Amino acid sequence: MEIEEKLALLNYKTDNQYAHITVNPKICETCPDHFCTFACPASCYKIIDGKLNFKYEDCVECGTCDIACSHGSVTWTNPKGGQGIKYKFG
Amino acid sequence: MSEFDAIVVGAGPAGSSAAIKMANAGLKVLLVERGDPPGTKNVSGGILWGKDLSQIIPDWEKTAPLERFVERKVTSFLTADSEISIDFKTLKFSTDRTGYAVLRTRLDQYLSKKASQAGATVITGITVDSLHMENGKVLGVVNEEDTITSDCVILAEGANPRVAIKAGLRQPPGDDDVALGIKQVYKLPEATINERYNLRGNAGFAGEYVLSFLEDDVYAGGFLYTNKDSISAGVVVSLSKLRENGKTRSFDIMEKFVSHPFISRLLEGGQIQEYSAHLVYEGGYSTMAKLYGNGYMIAGDAAGFSFSNGMVIEGMNYAIASGIMAGEAAIQAKKEGDFSDQSLSRYGRMLEESYAIKDKKTFRGIEKVTWSPLVHRIIPRIAENSMMKLFNETGEPKDHVVRILLDSAFDQGISKSDLLIQGYRLMRRM
Amino acid sequence: MKKVPLDIIVMVKQVPDSQEVVIDPVTMNLNRSLTRNVTNRADENALEVALSLRDKAGGTVTVISMGPPQAETTMYECMARGADRAILVSDRFFGGADTYPTGLTLASTISKIGKFDVVVAGEESSDSSTGHVGPGVAEFLNIDQITYCSHVDYKDRHVIAERELEDGTEVVKTPTPVLVTVLLNSNFPRRQTLRRKIDAMKKGFEVWNLEKLGLPPEWVGVRGSPTIVRRMRSIKEKERAAKKFDLSNLGNLVSELYEKNILKLEED
Ligand SMILES: Cc1cc2nc3c(=O)[nH]c(=O)nc-3n(C[C@H](O)[C@H](O)[C@@H](O)COP(=O)(O)OP(=O)(O)OC[C@H]3O[C@@H](n4cnc5c(N)ncnc54)[C@H](O)[C@@H]3O)c2cc1C
Ligand SMILES: Cc1cc2nc3c(=O)[nH]c(=O)nc-3n(C[C@H](O)[C@H](O)[C@H](O)COP(=O)(O)OP(=O)(O)OC[C@H]3O[C@@H](n4cnc5c(N)ncnc54)[C@H](O)[C@@H]3O)c2cc1C
Ligand code: SF4
Ligand code: SF4
Repeated sequence: MEIEEKLALLNYKTDNQYAHITVNPKICETCPDHFCTFACPASCYKIIDGKLNFKYEDCVECGTCDIACSHGSVTWTNPKGGQGIKYKFG
Repeated sequence: MSEFDAIVVGAGPAGSSAAIKMANAGLKVLLVERGDPPGTKNVSGGILWGKDLSQIIPDWEKTAPLERFVERKVTSFLTADSEISIDFKTLKFSTDRTGYAVLRTRLDQYLSKKASQAGATVITGITVDSLHMENGKVLGVVNEEDTITSDCVILAEGANPRVAIKAGLRQPPGDDDVALGIKQVYKLPEATINERYNLRGNAGFAGEYVLSFLEDDVYAGGFLYTNKDSISAGVVVSLSKLRENGKTRSFDIMEKFVSHPFISRLLEGGQIQEYSAHLVYEGGYSTMAKLYGNGYMIAGDAAGFSFSNGMVIEGMNYAIASGIMAGEAAIQAKKEGDFSDQSLSRYGRMLEESYAIKDKKTFRGIEKVTWSPLVHRIIPRIAENSMMKLFNETGEPKDHVVRILLDSAFDQGISKSDLLIQGYRLMRRM
Repeated sequence: MKKVPLDIIVMVKQVPDSQEVVIDPVTMNLNRSLTRNVTNRADENALEVALSLRDKAGGTVTVISMGPPQAETTMYECMARGADRAILVSDRFFGGADTYPTGLTLASTISKIGKFDVVVAGEESSDSSTGHVGPGVAEFLNIDQITYCSHVDYKDRHVIAERELEDGTEVVKTPTPVLVTVLLNSNFPRRQTLRRKIDAMKKGFEVWNLEKLGLPPEWVGVRGSPTIVRRMRSIKEKERAAKKFDLSNLGNLVSELYEKNILKLEED
């Protein structure tokens, strides 16, 4: 099963006003490893047309990318209350 | 005057346990959880070793949302073609119960409801942004523009403790402190589960796997637990190994685990209901920070209290135990009207004397062994090799078992003395 | 100019989380065992309209909901977003209501509250999505209504609302009292705060029953409902034709869509 299909099973309350994670495109531009794209379990980090593309909407809030990125590009905060992933089982 | 005696950040097992303990003693407690309802942000495998719960909820075994108790426990090495396991089951567990499989959304809602019944004010759907501090003393919590004051704050935020990190009370974790846990829940009829795993009634299966079939140097452990009418299957991936590898994606490892021929047949016909991921603390004792100070205590995963060797993960039990102890320390502090560093050092002492820390000390450095080539590559290959030699019909007379073992090791390019030394190290740490 | 404070009432429904609704394939009923309840999303937008009107003119915002006791989470949530008062209209007699007695019950709740200038509702619920209830309440109260509003403003005892129409926007000005229904996602609902949620828990919300409303039991709930649901069928979703495209080669996608007459160029 593809990761996209797995993510489609999940319930999110997406916050359209606040992105709880942001990346600094300047830093990503020169990144030698793009480890975020391998580490993120929700495939939020992708290389498209040679550029890093990040979307917070599929994020399951694990915190991995903040550790994975060793170049200081990721700014990680908790989503605002009640927003974001809502697991059914956990 | 503070508005509350204690504010607890996070309604996981650590936070709710602390809140129940304190509210039962009459403290004015505020429990704040960002998930709505509690549990919706959390992931465990999860086997709950819940004996400490009896201290705060005497009848938890009757009232908590427990899926199945562990009757059958399997520990396996999975190579590409083989599974070598210890399969342990005992009827003794039906009287001396061990762990119970749980699902976190259910467990966490149960625990937070208990906190509310005990008299704590439970607020869900609100994220604590930061601590209100003055001269190193914690005076309350901040959300949006508001500050809520309390005599002490118990930080029980889990494995990604942003509030504690922001306040400088905890170091941000690194590759060696945490692993990435990924999990899938499969729906399967109760009868199918019972038949397939050879279970009756409320008894359950707990399988833990070393995934030595993974290519390159990606190390990961797997787990598979039965719930009432679903299965929890997951992997724990070493971040440092994933980084070294630099070309495998974490979510592909999950897929590889459930696609392994011996695992996929255990899940056959099951419909995926949920995919989830969460960090797991796995560092030994050395990663633990100072866990209290002026007006604050840190409990559960936020304090680094969980243990994982890449297969077995324990953390809910330590979370509960440390939550209760933090609660106890706050109760004493309230009696004395003193929430200083000095007074709360009581929490540190209780931890020192408890099994939670003793376990941590015993296992100090264990991650170096359990994430080693010995466990993930060498032992599985030797075992597979020897088994083939023992059971494969070649027409030639069979050697002595020990001879076969040592020869297999030699086939893997390991000297006998090396094997003995490594084996001894592992035994001592386990 | 003298500020005239507004008394605003917001109608809010608790619904099963639409992302989690599971229909039992055998009984065709909603499997509620796994489904959690949330506040109807459009009603969050309705509440935001009410709160921003109050920001402007001063006054009060009262939230009302007809529903079972578990709707308490919605009551606290609305107060934590800024509502001054919340009333849950709850009684076993109200069970099984269709849109007619739902409207009647809510209208009589509003009458019982007494003074009001503006009633705000969501455009529709996510679980039954009839969109009847708002207009129904306006009829029962015999007041004007402005439906499907994307923006609502207030000036000098008048509500000025923008309505989203198929071929444009219409701006309507109506004297109060008036009922408006608000489009889903037409604004950004303000967040709950810890301070307001603690205060809400301390203050609590009101629960009104049938007796309090003084309606005859045969007018409400299933007995007061003219509609009978005779049969339900689940729709078999047809596999849609899908095709994977390489994102790095969007040109192919465009030309294929053009060839198949799905995509048209301006000059065609
Ligand atoms: C499958 C199914 C079929 C149904 N078929 C019919 C039918 O054919 N005819 C019929 O009349 N009824 C029917 N009902 C029942 C009915 O639609 C609703 O339960 C009704 O009571 C509320 O209408 P609504 O949810 O469509 O609300 P809408 O009219 O879509 O809601 C608009 C707004 O009204 C307000 N509102 C609605 N309900 C409440 C409430 N309880 N408390 C406070 N505010 C509220 C909210 O602001 C909401 O945004 C059916 C229900 C189901 C589940
Ligand atoms: C894949 C996996 C499998 C596991 N298997 C097992 C197992 O089988 N057995 C076992 O015992 N343990 C297991 N664990 C470990 C276990 O899940 C943790 O040790 C345990 O959850 C720790 O409990 P806690 O209360 O400290 O933290 P958590 O359970 O993480 O709870 C922290 C809570 O705080 C909330 N929170 C965080 N920040 C804020 C904030 N700023 N404001 C408000 N709320 C906040 C979170 O939403 C969360 O509810 C597993 C973990 C993983 C990831
Ligand atoms: S987020 Fe970090 S790891 Fe990912 S591309 Fe940017 S700099 Fe590299
Ligand atoms: S927090 Fe986890 S899921 Fe979210 S973007 Fe980072 S790595 Fe991906």
